[in-house]
Amino acid sequence: MIKFDNVTYVYPTGVKALDGVSVEIGRGELVAIMGENGAGKTTFIKHLNGLLKPTSGSVYVDGKNTKTLSVAQLSKIVGVVFQNADDMFFLPTVEEEVAFSLRNLGFSEEVVQKRVDWALNFMELEEYRKRSPFLLSGGEKKRLALAIILAWNPQVIAMDEPTVGQDSLQKEKLKEMIKQLNLQERTVIISTHDVEFVAELKPRVILMSRGRIVADGKADVILTDGELLSNCSILMPQVAATMSRLADLGFNAKVISVEEAVRNIVEGLMRFEHIRGA
Amino acid sequence: MSILEGLKFYAGDTAIHKLDPRVKFLVSMLMLIIVVMYAEVWMLTVLIAVQAVIVYIAKVMRRWLKTIKGSMPLAALVFGLNAIFFISTGTYATLQEVFYHSIALAYRLVLFLSSFSIFFLTTTPEEIGLTLTSWRVPYPYTFAFISAIRFTPIIAQELRDIMDAQRARGVELDRGGLLQRAKKLIPILVPLLANALRRAYELAEAMEVKCFGAAKKRTSLRELKAGPKDYAVLLTVLVLFSLAVYYRFFPF
Repeated sequence: MIKFDNVTYVYPTGVKALDGVSVEIGRGELVAIMGENGAGKTTFIKHLNGLLKPTSGSVYVDGKNTKTLSVAQLSKIVGVVFQNADDMFFLPTVEEEVAFSLRNLGFSEEVVQKRVDWALNFMELEEYRKRSPFLLSGGEKKRLALAIILAWNPQVIAMDEPTVGQDSLQKEKLKEMIKQLNLQERTVIISTHDVEFVAELKPRVILMSRGRIVADGKADVILTDGELLSNCSILMPQVAATMSRLADLGFNAKVISVEEAVRNIVEGLMRFEHIRGA
Repeated sequence: MSILEGLKFYAGDTAIHKLDPRVKFLVSMLMLIIVVMYAEVWMLTVLIAVQAVIVYIAKVMRRWLKTIKGSMPLAALVFGLNAIFFISTGTYATLQEVFYHSIALAYRLVLFLSSFSIFFLTTTPEEIGLTLTSWRVPYPYTFAFISAIRFTPIIAQELRDIMDAQRARGVELDRGGLLQRAKKLIPILVPLLANALRRAYELAEAMEVKCFGAAKKRTSLRELKAGPKDYAVLLTVLVLFSLAVYYRFFPF
């Protein structure tokens, strides 16, 4: 679905933000791009819809080189939700904001209405459809930004720092929506620092540092590797940190989600009880 | 947007950076007066050559060239509008003259921006504030001015982010006729204005919290003090300026 082939990107200021990045992301995958500030996460995301074109190397989306397509053409396949939702809004109502993108992309008026209804319903924004986007709360704005992108049903959805400024309830909602989108066979790519959020989603993790990919694998392998995370200025998720301290007692140290941790601890305690009983 | 880059201070340890900001401001103003006085391309070229030497010493050549590059669309517009005006009013007899005078006007605009670019590239916002305060500009106005300079690069970055966000939802900014392109500016300018207003409110609140304006008389940790080098530069520039003025009215 997406292929980065030895991609290097140098900003006009001379900063090398991507340095020989090669990676493939398949259809229906859930991927978290992680790394410290300046690791190249946002630059990576901006290459997905052609906002940035590689200085050297190539990016392929659905087999097509991004250098040959416009941002609008690529955006039909890859919807990108940026960190600051306020950068998108300029129309008087929520429903007009959603409809604007659909009209830009050439959908008929009948389809526009249907897709607006669907997107607002899916993102639980139906009650705000006549409200000004500027009057929504931070979490609602983020949901509206996602609704705008989801409305045209892109195969790939990329989100840059989706949890920034979100309270725990909003994060929970976002997590459920990401899971739902992934169940619908969409490719979901999130760039984030939020280890706790990633730990609960358990995606494939691509860890970046100084423009390079330093690790790529399952979340429970990467997010439990203290040394690797520390080198990228990332803290281990709290559950993983707790379980690694309990590893000497025979508990599984490669656990990152609360549910798994509870199951492991209960099983361990039962084992202890069994030994004590015997 | 590269014009805005030319208004951003870049730290350096050069003789130009160390000059008294008041001297730098005066030099920029004098260069501006020469630009206004002379419409001859040769003089404007001499002036830009002088600026290039200053920029070379200040080690900000790349940024300064960016300002010049960024001013090109505006210069092209000035050139085009003047050429149309001169031709339609028959101000000049030949097309060569029309071309020469239109070029000279566009050149002046570039020089206007490039002179001030040197000042802003080599002077910190604090120094600009001190300069204005030393000239008894009321502090609220000084603060508003230096805040505007400080926020310029932030707004430039925000503009880029907004353009990216709109392009990601299918807005093709570089396609269509003039009217269509003008219409496409609405999705860019409305969020930019909304964000700027929000930032202004936040800044106002932050200043209130810090008791801005509570003391009638302000003191400053650093006072501007011109040294012998500053006076030498000022004297040299004044002599050159006098020569330029003299030559304008009494050519040799």
